Amino acid sequence: MSDSNAVRLVRRLGPFLGLALVLVLFTALEPDRFPTAVNFRTVLTQTVIVGLGAVGMTFVVVSGGIDLSVGSSIALSTIVIARLLRDGASPAAAALAGVVAGGVVGVVNGTLITRLRIAPFIVTLGTLQIVRGTAKYLAGEQKIDAPASWLAGLMAKSPDPSWLIVAPGVWALILLAGFLAFVLRRSILGVHTYAIGSNESTAVLCGIKVDRTKVLIYGLSGLMTGLAGLMQFSRLTVGDPTAATGLELNIIAAVVIGGASLSGGVGGIAGSLVGALVMAFLANGCTLVGVPNYAQEILVGAIIVAVVAIDRSKRGT
Amino acid sequence: MRLGTILAVLALLLAACGDSKSPSKRVIAVIPKGTTHEFWKSIHAGALKAAAESGVDIAWKGPPKEDDRDEQIKVVEDSVTRRVAAIVLAPLDEAALATPVAEAAKDKIPVVVIDSDLKGDAHASFVATDNEKGGAMAAERLGTLLGGKGRVLMLRYQVGSASTEKRERGFLAGIAKFPGITMVSDNQYAGATAEAAYAAAENLLQRFPELDGIFCPNESATFGMLRALTSVGRNGKVKFVGFDASAKLAEALKTGDIHGLVLQNPFRMGYLGVKTALDVLDGKLVERRIDTGVAMATPDNMTTPDIAELLNPKLPENVR
Repeated sequence: MSDSNAVRLVRRLGPFLGLALVLVLFTALEPDRFPTAVNFRTVLTQTVIVGLGAVGMTFVVVSGGIDLSVGSSIALSTIVIARLLRDGASPAAAALAGVVAGGVVGVVNGTLITRLRIAPFIVTLGTLQIVRGTAKYLAGEQKIDAPASWLAGLMAKSPDPSWLIVAPGVWALILLAGFLAFVLRRSILGVHTYAIGSNESTAVLCGIKVDRTKVLIYGLSGLMTGLAGLMQFSRLTVGDPTAATGLELNIIAAVVIGGASLSGGVGGIAGSLVGALVMAFLANGCTLVGVPNYAQEILVGAIIVAVVAIDRSKRGT
Repeated sequence: MRLGTILAVLALLLAACGDSKSPSKRVIAVIPKGTTHEFWKSIHAGALKAAAESGVDIAWKGPPKEDDRDEQIKVVEDSVTRRVAAIVLAPLDEAALATPVAEAAKDKIPVVVIDSDLKGDAHASFVATDNEKGGAMAAERLGTLLGGKGRVLMLRYQVGSASTEKRERGFLAGIAKFPGITMVSDNQYAGATAEAAYAAAENLLQRFPELDGIFCPNESATFGMLRALTSVGRNGKVKFVGFDASAKLAEALKTGDIHGLVLQNPFRMGYLGVKTALDVLDGKLVERRIDTGVAMATPDNMTTPDIAELLNPKLPENVR
């Protein structure tokens, strides 16, 4: 793949054009209700969970892997938090444990992939079920009510204190995305991630510790998933073992719309975030316009294919 | 160029799919737990009838993923930013939906809760079946059929499902009034699907070869039990009372394999949900709790117009 600067520019702008398209479209259809501060604040909050997941997933996809277990992992994390809160743990400790639970799932994924030499798709297809089952077991096959705590405020659309303007969860997403974008572009870990995704055997020849890096990547992605689980708990205020079923597909879609290639080596955090925003604005806009669910599903599917097709045709590959 | 074309096509598609709403009419958002079950279609039909009578529009939108709490929260939030006049909601979770409903109420958008209850007092009214009464009715029917004596089992639905737990409680309280009846089992769960219910029912029937009566608290459990009874040839021999209707269950009622079905009235729930929301908007005082009624369908009364309509609701064309 030979990249001229122009082509690279277009590719990086591709997802942004997609987002602009969606914004223009719904502004034209619902000029009074869609482009309002309240609505944008709502959509930003709705983007946080998929956004956090997509930031982590970007590392995995760029390294040439995939993680199908993130939806289950989010549910597990809400259960861990709710159980600890119910048993009297402090909110901060419960939140931390929820995030760590996600990280543990990630490390397990990475370890299985590297030790057993099984494709990430298969391993995480397995852990998707295992983690979902574990969540249901820990929850006693029902949702867990937790006592009210400040964790619910993390995703409040009208934040307290009000100078935050958007929910603390949105800030968490912005700051972490900024930091991890830097890690992916500038740090050794990031460079190795791209190298492994572009050509794993070359990466090995260059002396990159591929296995250790992969475990790190899945662990990092798992921590982001755990954080997404914390935000999911904040929204639901209960631990729900059936939460986020199938959400991994929305997260992967966000990453792909954002310009990442599932064959690895290509992708970026900013693109993935924009992909998550495209999905969120689509769902929001469809509700505002009154599009029935079946039409919305067809539309979202068509847009995923269309955006990627445009992206590829511009690249001339 | 290409972007322009896509934009135009999308706009056209969306405009075609969107509500054909006249801007002057008030819009009531009706938000079910899912959109593909018969039950919700009846609610939709009821809501549409109320809307047509009162000259308002209905925005019917469930969570795109069936039974997904977070997606239902999003639909409530988006309805608020859409500035609908009122919301009629069947909450997927009594706790998780309380926050968005409180926010809607704060934004002066009244919320009427239907089908399943919600925590807190932000909603204007709760319009639903009296499930405990439904369970008690089933006990009354089964007790009478058995002449007040015999061995009875109840296959529960699922842990944590509030509405069916109330039915189960009502049934147990009702059956206790028949001293000659022994409950041989009331601690088994059918699970979420008819398939799981089938397996659980098979095991129970295996365990209790001598049985006089059975109660199941919802449609999937009733159907699973019916299949299990038929597969071992004990259908019709055991007195069997179920809850909710479907084409298959109505058929079994006709052939005498089921002896009673407690029926809710989802059409009325949708109708009264919208009507109550309109009353709130008009500043009228509404009841905190509105009962939409339950009826007992038996092989004898199943052809009477009222029961036949509940058993097999004729849905209008515009409800898909």
